[in-house]
Amino acid sequence: MDDGFPPPPSMSHPGIVALDITDKFASAVKTLPPGQIVKDGHFTLFESVSALEIMDPKMDSGCLEEGESLDEEYDTARDLLPEEVLGIIDQLLCLELTSSHQDGLAPRLPFVADHFDQRLCGGASEGSQRASELDDILRDSASQAKQPKFLFVLRAYCAGMLRGCHCVNEVVKDELYYEEEDFVTNTYDRNFLSHIEMAEVIALLQATRADLRELSNDVPKDLALALDLRLELRIAFLRAMELFPLRKSNPDSLKMPWIQMKELMKHFKKQHALAKAVPEAFSTKMQRRLASTMPPRPIVHLSFDDTYTHFEQMFQDGKDAMDVLKYVDPQSLLHFVSTFQARNPQPLVFIRTMTQGLLFKDMIVLGHHSIRRILDDDLAIVVLPSARQLDPANDTIEVPTDPRHQLAVQMETFRQRAAECYLDLYRIFCQNRCRVRRTLCHSIQQWDHLQADVEEIDGLLQVCLDEKSLTTSMGNIGHSLPLSSWAYLYKLRQMEWIVQLGFELDVYQPDELAGMYWYLNYLAKTRAQHGDRIKTFVLREFTAAQESPAWSQTKERNYTRSIAYIRVTMLDAACTWEFADGLCCLYTVLQRLNLVKTPSRPYSNDEQRYEIRMKPFVNIGLPQLPSFDDFTKATAQPETSITELLKYAENAVGGAKKGYEALSRMNDLQTFSVGCHDRWLANIKGCQKSTIFAGLAITTLQKAIETEGENAADLKLKVELPQPGKGYHDWWIVPKLTPKSES
Amino acid sequence: MESSEAEVYLNSLINKTLRVYATDSRMFVGTFKCTDANRNVVLALTHEYRQPSQKQLEAAAASSSSGTVKAEMTSRYLGLVVVPGEHIVKMEVEEFVSQMKSKSALGQRALYV
Repeated sequence: MDDGFPPPPSMSHPGIVALDITDKFASAVKTLPPGQIVKDGHFTLFESVSALEIMDPKMDSGCLEEGESLDEEYDTARDLLPEEVLGIIDQLLCLELTSSHQDGLAPRLPFVADHFDQRLCGGASEGSQRASELDDILRDSASQAKQPKFLFVLRAYCAGMLRGCHCVNEVVKDELYYEEEDFVTNTYDRNFLSHIEMAEVIALLQATRADLRELSNDVPKDLALALDLRLELRIAFLRAMELFPLRKSNPDSLKMPWIQMKELMKHFKKQHALAKAVPEAFSTKMQRRLASTMPPRPIVHLSFDDTYTHFEQMFQDGKDAMDVLKYVDPQSLLHFVSTFQARNPQPLVFIRTMTQGLLFKDMIVLGHHSIRRILDDDLAIVVLPSARQLDPANDTIEVPTDPRHQLAVQMETFRQRAAECYLDLYRIFCQNRCRVRRTLCHSIQQWDHLQADVEEIDGLLQVCLDEKSLTTSMGNIGHSLPLSSWAYLYKLRQMEWIVQLGFELDVYQPDELAGMYWYLNYLAKTRAQHGDRIKTFVLREFTAAQESPAWSQTKERNYTRSIAYIRVTMLDAACTWEFADGLCCLYTVLQRLNLVKTPSRPYSNDEQRYEIRMKPFVNIGLPQLPSFDDFTKATAQPETSITELLKYAENAVGGAKKGYEALSRMNDLQTFSVGCHDRWLANIKGCQKSTIFAGLAITTLQKAIETEGENAADLKLKVELPQPGKGYHDWWIVPKLTPKSES
Repeated sequence: MESSEAEVYLNSLINKTLRVYATDSRMFVGTFKCTDANRNVVLALTHEYRQPSQKQLEAAAASSSSGTVKAEMTSRYLGLVVVPGEHIVKMEVEEFVSQMKSKSALGQRALYV
């Protein structure tokens, strides 16, 4: 035990005597009235909640069942057939996965590792002995003769696996994740061969492969190959771990081990039939020897087929994650991260933390870029193409009265204020989906403050730049306020994400859907209008710049790129706005027809529920949360007839469909999805499909009403909502209307 | 025992090291923090000690040359635990030999007063 836990007290110290107080103690507590306790003044009952209850099998990992012995029934020195070695290795593979799986119940890597512990040392070992384990394996050739013949393969495999687990643990611990919820990093004070160089472990694995080949006469060929490939997998995994911090290298070369592992997995699937399971080699008893302030964890059993699928997915995700290093522009990067993490199933926490490492390790973005570069690139795309504020030459001006010096100072203030909020966006997307939503709720508060703060900087900058306010046919629309516009745009987008993730995560009840789609439509509409405002100012700068003598091709490119970005943002916002509007109308009609039922909620009223549902948005200054009355009126639209509502829904959904079609025809550069266009396109196609089915649902309803009238009972329609994750797109819950069978 | 006397006695044990033996023959050694009328005992910084298993005893017997067999109890750290009163078979308090002597001297003096 090297750290963390105090050493065990010496049991037989001559200076200490133990006095029996059993009877005296028992009679003393008997005099206490029920409910009264005697306790240390500094000890709180709150603390006692975390105490492990002894003899409770759920809490006490040391609790033995009647007649159960602590001795391991499995003899680690027993002779193993090569197919049994294969069986144990495959079983270890299954367990390894449960440990790195994101499922809250599953992570139990450290505990599993302890089985290898035994295996590694040829018997139960504790603390100090472990340091020399690998040396033993490496040098212990003399005793190898006495050992079971094929144990060396298993030992080497375990060494590779442990070292790999150590790497995974370190990667996860370095980044943002949720302990217990995502992953358990507690290693029960085991060190997982952390003291041994990766190269040594790889050398051992290589040497073992060579030894195995020498034994080829004693092992059937296919079995020897299966063992060999499993050792190769361990080497590839360690290589992958060795390579990924080298973010400066070519991403394609970083992918190599991941591709190799994925190929190996294919063989494993076929070879698994050769393995002979040794279930008795695995037991939960090992936990009883581990120092633990936590309740015991059961072993999760995953079938080999499931394991295969998960591993394959993990290796694919690992490979794809490397593409994040191919930086083009910050908007594409954000699209890359958000679409990568939106994959279903979501990448494992290990991959998610690795992505964070690739993005931000040591505050160097993607191994190459400063945070300033990313932030300036983003501003240049969104609001300030070729702007004087972003000219790096400003930094070199030292005369304090020079406006360029002031620009540099103000922009630096801005960057310091905005960098954290901005980088957090990427990090938030690397969390599990529920956390993404919840963390965004906090993030928008930060962005709300940010927007207000940088508006001051905008004010100072417009003096430096001598900017005039703009008057259009709409009247005076003020100054451009680029920095706060930028913050506002991001805030709006995040607010939409929160609502959309709510749909994805099945947060809303069926009768809330109309209202929430109305709110989404409100947010998207605001974003589209805001995009329009940004566009007006970018175009003003564009026209002015074209007339200036310093006009260049680079500038033109920058302006075009910026205008393209605003266009795609506005189109995306308009699609969301229309589609949400259409679905809101559809759900309102279904509710009027009583086809979507409102459950009885005797302990609250609509207004209270609205307050709670909208809590994340209530403190946001802009856009202000609509009052409950406005919200109800806008959702229920009591003055509009059912026919009109459906007509309106039909048009809105049709408009959204055309919008998505237009989006899907645009290329990766136009849509700022370079490097992730396939995932981005799949997302748009999913939305487009949803609009088609929403259109169908509306038509079905219109026809039924035409023939049967507006009485729900006559319509003979059944409304089905898709199960979460089973719809065409997780963010668009499209009801399915089917004729009710006459029964 | 009188109720007030009992409370003084129990309070005197607070923060002392107790050895609590459970029905399954495990022993828990930790700092006494809290108890109640049902003799539930909360121990902090606890280590669990387990009697050597049959197998370990056999191994120890095989390796010992003299007539007596010596086997170590296996221990591990558990931290904060509560041992329910119903599972307690024996309790001991650890005292320093040196302090016990001075205590008894005090006790004797009290006798003379």
